[in-house]
Amino acid sequence: MSSVEAEDLTKRFGSLTAVDRLTFSVGEGEIFGLLGPNGAGKTTTLRMLGSLIAPTEGSARVGGHDVVKDALRVRETVGILTENPSLYDRLTAQENMNFFAEAYGLADPGERSTRIRELLEFFDLWDRRGDKAGTFSKGMKQKLAIARALVHGPEVLFLDEPTSGLDPRSSKDIRDLMEELSRRERRTILLSTHRLEDAERLCDRVMIIREGASVIIGSPEELQRKIAGTPVLEIRLRGAPGRVADAVRALWGVIEVAVDAPSSRLMVSLEDPEASTPEVVRAVVGAEGEILSVGVVEPSLEEAYLRLVGGEEG
Amino acid sequence: MRSGKVLLVFRKDWREISRNWQVLMPIMVVPLLFTVAIPAAVVLMPELVNAPTSSTGFLELMLKNLPSGVQARLAGMTEAQVMTYVMLLYFFAPFFLIIPLMASSVIASDSFAGEKERKTIEALLATPMTDGELFMGKVLVSFVPSMLVTTVSFAIYTATVDLLTYGMFGRLLLPNLNWVLLILGLAPTVALASIGLTVMISARVKGFREAQQISAVLVVPILIMLFAQASGAVIFGPLLEGALILAFAVMDALLFRLGVRLFRREEILSRVG
Repeated sequence: MSSVEAEDLTKRFGSLTAVDRLTFSVGEGEIFGLLGPNGAGKTTTLRMLGSLIAPTEGSARVGGHDVVKDALRVRETVGILTENPSLYDRLTAQENMNFFAEAYGLADPGERSTRIRELLEFFDLWDRRGDKAGTFSKGMKQKLAIARALVHGPEVLFLDEPTSGLDPRSSKDIRDLMEELSRRERRTILLSTHRLEDAERLCDRVMIIREGASVIIGSPEELQRKIAGTPVLEIRLRGAPGRVADAVRALWGVIEVAVDAPSSRLMVSLEDPEASTPEVVRAVVGAEGEILSVGVVEPSLEEAYLRLVGGEEG
Repeated sequence: MRSGKVLLVFRKDWREISRNWQVLMPIMVVPLLFTVAIPAAVVLMPELVNAPTSSTGFLELMLKNLPSGVQARLAGMTEAQVMTYVMLLYFFAPFFLIIPLMASSVIASDSFAGEKERKTIEALLATPMTDGELFMGKVLVSFVPSMLVTTVSFAIYTATVDLLTYGMFGRLLLPNLNWVLLILGLAPTVALASIGLTVMISARVKGFREAQQISAVLVVPILIMLFAQASGAVIFGPLLEGALILAFAVMDALLFRLGVRLFRREEILSRVG
């Protein structure tokens, strides 16, 4: 069952088309990444799906509710981490959490305080609960904003750059949390991010957006293969690889052989790396090449992304 | 509209305001000047009361236009008593309509524009609270402190006036029906109209200063009332006050319906700086 469905979702601001006929669906428990350069339309898409702004054309449903007709139900269903932490600096961490917990319908004070304590403890903020949010570091504010998005246990989470401003340890904690929410609790997560590392590690599927339109949708692996090409066999040799390279080039199934003379490496692109690797190794040995190591280098999502969005990344 | 959600917005904003001295100071200091310094000046500075200046010209005009009932009450009073009575009970009355406007304009201008400036608006608008609940919460948080300040100012003014004039008149001048209607009827209805408009302006502009500059225009009708009363053209009496309370109450109801109808999350977000 789809938790988020968008059909021809379009948003225009005057003559500018910020989002151009996006059609996609996100299944229950799926982590779906929105990737794209600044101004690609990611935040506008999340705002439409969160019933903050209305689409100019097209439709969308979140948790089974129409984003225009059932805006209030959509907002109840969704937990949202906005581009900015959006915290009240003069209120303490606990007061911020209390306000949003009540706004999202956690009416029972006991249930509310238990939930808030759980979240603040998870994010290592419990000891600072009485401090004003304005005194927090950027990373602490980001953690508090994520805790706020989770306070009502939403079915669907929209997270705009969740690991922005966090140290490596906190980033890992957030990634682990997202995985747990998705895999164990079957929460659906829409993740807008610049961090390809996050998308690669977490997302079941990603959609790359450019100038408001969808360029491609697929799993990170699919995108890597489709756009950045097949994995490459990397062979490190003792001595110059020139003669050995000729021997490998002569093999059937070899697409390209790149020689990196200074580091004595051969980069071999193969039609079927798994089937052809033993033959390549035999050819190298036959040409009296001394192999130091053999490895497969997978094309990264970053390569795929950069090929699609080119130099637009801001 | 769920009153619990309206109160939730109110409580949140009130907590923020109560920790912000930049907002609290002007709200508290200006009324104090009105309520203590001005009556003290009128009573304790005889040269001001007796001066044959333009102010006495104003007072003479005012005296002429006072209702016959009030004129009868002035009969037999000394000139100094008449001046003090008219100045303190009639001349300064419209200032008490300016106090709630000034107090509320700071908070109401900040209502949505301040949230935009501090970049807290998006998370607020993403909550499942209706447009009406958000709008009314913001109106309430401007209204309650401004009326609190007005009522406390009136209490201080009453105490100051009675303390300073008891010796002169041998009786307490305040409170009277005129002032009770003014403070408990006209001031709240006028304040609500001004707050409703200011919150609407605040939702439509980018920043607090812009909202405050535009909403400053709303003091003009009250200044007109002030000059009308000072010149004797209009004198606040129970009848006029009753009519104004009714007129402003109708205006308030219309403004709130309009405010909720014009409240657009999208437009508010599009003006985030």
